[in-house]
Amino acid sequence: MVAALKATGVDGQLFKRALLGSLSWLAANHEEVNRLNVFPVPDGDTGTNMLLTLQSAVEDVKESNAAEVSKIAKLASHGSLMGARGNSGVILSQIFRGFARAVEGKASLTPAELAAGFEEAANAAYRAVNKPTEGTILTVAREAGRAAATAASNPDATVPRVIAAAAAGARSAVLKTPSQLQILRDAGVVDAGGFGLQLILEGMLKSVEESEPALAALNESRLPVLAASQVALALPEGGWGYCTEFLIEGNNLDTELIRGQIESLGNSVLVVGEPELVKVHVHTDDPTSVINLAGGYGKVLKLSVGDMSTQHRRILEAEGGAGGARPARPNGAGLVAVVAGRGLVDIFRGLGVDAIIEGGQTMNPSTQDMLTAIESVPYEEVILLPNNGNVIPAAKQVVGLTKKKVHVIETHSVPQGVSAVVAFRPERSGDENMRAMKAEAERVQTIEVTHAVRDTRSNGVKVKKGDVIGLINDKLEIAGDDYSEVVNRALGKLGPDSFELVTVYRGEQASDDELKRLESAIRSSYPGLEVEVQQGGQQHYPFILSVE
Amino acid sequence: MKRTFAVVTDSTSDLPADWSKRYAIEVVPLKVLFGQETFRDGVDMTSDQFFTRLAASSSLPTTSAPSPGEFAEVYRRLAKDHDGCISIHIGARLSATAEAARVGAEAVEGFKVNVIDSQSVSMPMAFLCRVAAECESLEEATTAVEQRVPKCRVLALLDTLRYLEMGGRLNRAQAMIGTMLDVKPLLLVSENAEIKPVERVRTRSRAIPRMVEFFRSEQPVEHVAVMHAQAADEATSIAAELRKELPDLEIPVGQIGCVLGTHTGPKALGLVYIKK
Repeated sequence: MVAALKATGVDGQLFKRALLGSLSWLAANHEEVNRLNVFPVPDGDTGTNMLLTLQSAVEDVKESNAAEVSKIAKLASHGSLMGARGNSGVILSQIFRGFARAVEGKASLTPAELAAGFEEAANAAYRAVNKPTEGTILTVAREAGRAAATAASNPDATVPRVIAAAAAGARSAVLKTPSQLQILRDAGVVDAGGFGLQLILEGMLKSVEESEPALAALNESRLPVLAASQVALALPEGGWGYCTEFLIEGNNLDTELIRGQIESLGNSVLVVGEPELVKVHVHTDDPTSVINLAGGYGKVLKLSVGDMSTQHRRILEAEGGAGGARPARPNGAGLVAVVAGRGLVDIFRGLGVDAIIEGGQTMNPSTQDMLTAIESVPYEEVILLPNNGNVIPAAKQVVGLTKKKVHVIETHSVPQGVSAVVAFRPERSGDENMRAMKAEAERVQTIEVTHAVRDTRSNGVKVKKGDVIGLINDKLEIAGDDYSEVVNRALGKLGPDSFELVTVYRGEQASDDELKRLESAIRSSYPGLEVEVQQGGQQHYPFILSVE
Repeated sequence: MKRTFAVVTDSTSDLPADWSKRYAIEVVPLKVLFGQETFRDGVDMTSDQFFTRLAASSSLPTTSAPSPGEFAEVYRRLAKDHDGCISIHIGARLSATAEAARVGAEAVEGFKVNVIDSQSVSMPMAFLCRVAAECESLEEATTAVEQRVPKCRVLALLDTLRYLEMGGRLNRAQAMIGTMLDVKPLLLVSENAEIKPVERVRTRSRAIPRMVEFFRSEQPVEHVAVMHAQAADEATSIAAELRKELPDLEIPVGQIGCVLGTHTGPKALGLVYIKK
């Protein structure tokens, strides 16, 4: 059977079998393609998109007995266009379309005609994309076509050899993609769409020739790359910058000259067009300079600036690295807070606090500590949250010690601090923020639970050393034997009907068991309240509760 | 005078069922995928069915844009009795739909299709369609719609950010929402389909008045609707409140479709409008 194939060209039924082979090979490996997907947004579905597109390409082909390759190619082209999904899928559909056009009217293809079809397929894909990027499926398609053409020029060329050359060309192009795209290099992966195309060509090869030695190598061709489930990308110096795109409308525009100047301001530079209209694409940290430069040449149109660092940061954060740099805020005020406890530090940071001074109940930070933190943030106006009654006086001292405008919001507790930060809006002025945050801080009720360190009587409550005591808004109100009881009584005093949400910040000393009991005690006594538990990690207070 | 051009949109416009007929607007569905099962938004699956299924499903569904070929089919059919078409779609920053429409339109020779990136989602698109449908020529419609595109707004209150994040449409750090605490942000989708938080609130009962308050500060508006996902009572009462303040506007209440619902999750509320 193999010999028979070698003797003939690619007719409709052979091409059909090749497509079915592609489909099964891609189906078997598409998850591996999914894992490679890091560009431009890590959504992990390139393999699935390509597979669904190919399935759709093959759908009508499966039913067809057409002998002419042109008919099968046309069905595949139509089917892939109908089913195209995602960027890679759309490009794949254009590849099929280019191939179908190249073989139009032909019943069967010689090795040379097949190679020409591959080349035209790649050309069509390039033409279809607004801004072709090297190191992607486009490059792989082109290199596959070139390798096929080289193989076809050999006098011994056969159809399987041309396909084998295309697959090998694709494979070596795929391996080179990391050197063409920084993002792939950083991620330690090859391009997913390109790899998908390699699989498609390999699948074709497998189906047209089951015994060629080239196939033995296929099984070794699994990727020599890191498993890329969620790749930790190192942030290049200066961040990723902004994907900046625009058109310049002018006269006698010199694309070479413009490209040269823009290249000094960023990377991934693409400058194409005509003397009257030039399209610019660049990844830069300084879009303003790029736009100013472009403005010197003509009118800047269709400007789009996208922040790529934020996409990148999302991956880092999913990895659990909360320390990602934050985009600088426009005009607004900086936020500085005094916080103790690992979990609480993370919570405040996550909500957008710029600098944190560790400290609180027993370790009151100095005015100098706070001053240093305030000077460290890049804002001329700073909002300071002491988050503890004992810290407020030192915090107020800072106001006269710096040239910066410092607003102290007198938050007496962690819950007040959290509520204030939640109400913060970066684009609002310091004064406006101050008002809104103060109002929010005053609205929330705080319950703090700890143990009495000595016998005492305070606020009419008699306390023995070691008792569990509950403070409501800084005042000792309840003494008892256990956390759940004290908390429930405190909630009862506040009148739970006027509240909706209780947030429990669990301290370092509280055990899992104690937390569980507290949670279920609140839920069963006050079923109308929503309860959220956070690991606060604070010392001295096994539980701090925010009631709002 | 009979309109000679066609008006096309996609299912993320949440176009009210009767508008499709009344204004002759063609809706091309996006798709929702639960594992291997594919449903055409609003055709094979209603919003109610979707949320029922979502609640029962252990894994989250995904969504996909119509293919260029599906658009080409619609345009080809419309070309038979229209001399052109305006095709208004979900913001290109959020979905590949507008791009698919553009590619699909190129495949239909001799039929002029003006593909509009609405830079928005949901009923602002439906309002744009109605504006187009009431114009006399394709040029007039295109101008009228393009003028309004930068003025489309979607003010959304999500019960949870889980769905939006899973779909890759939101970055918590950028949105300053925090990764630890359960914060309910009020999100605004404005020009270029940019999603940004305008307020952060911790409880839903505080968030709803904030949403209405923010909307008041956005006056004057030309069109407004209240959208919801399985939160009809709240949506109806917001609409009733606003009708008192804005007696000249009709203020429909609509349901969020399956594809948008995949990204908003249940109990989402939205005030969607076009500024004057």
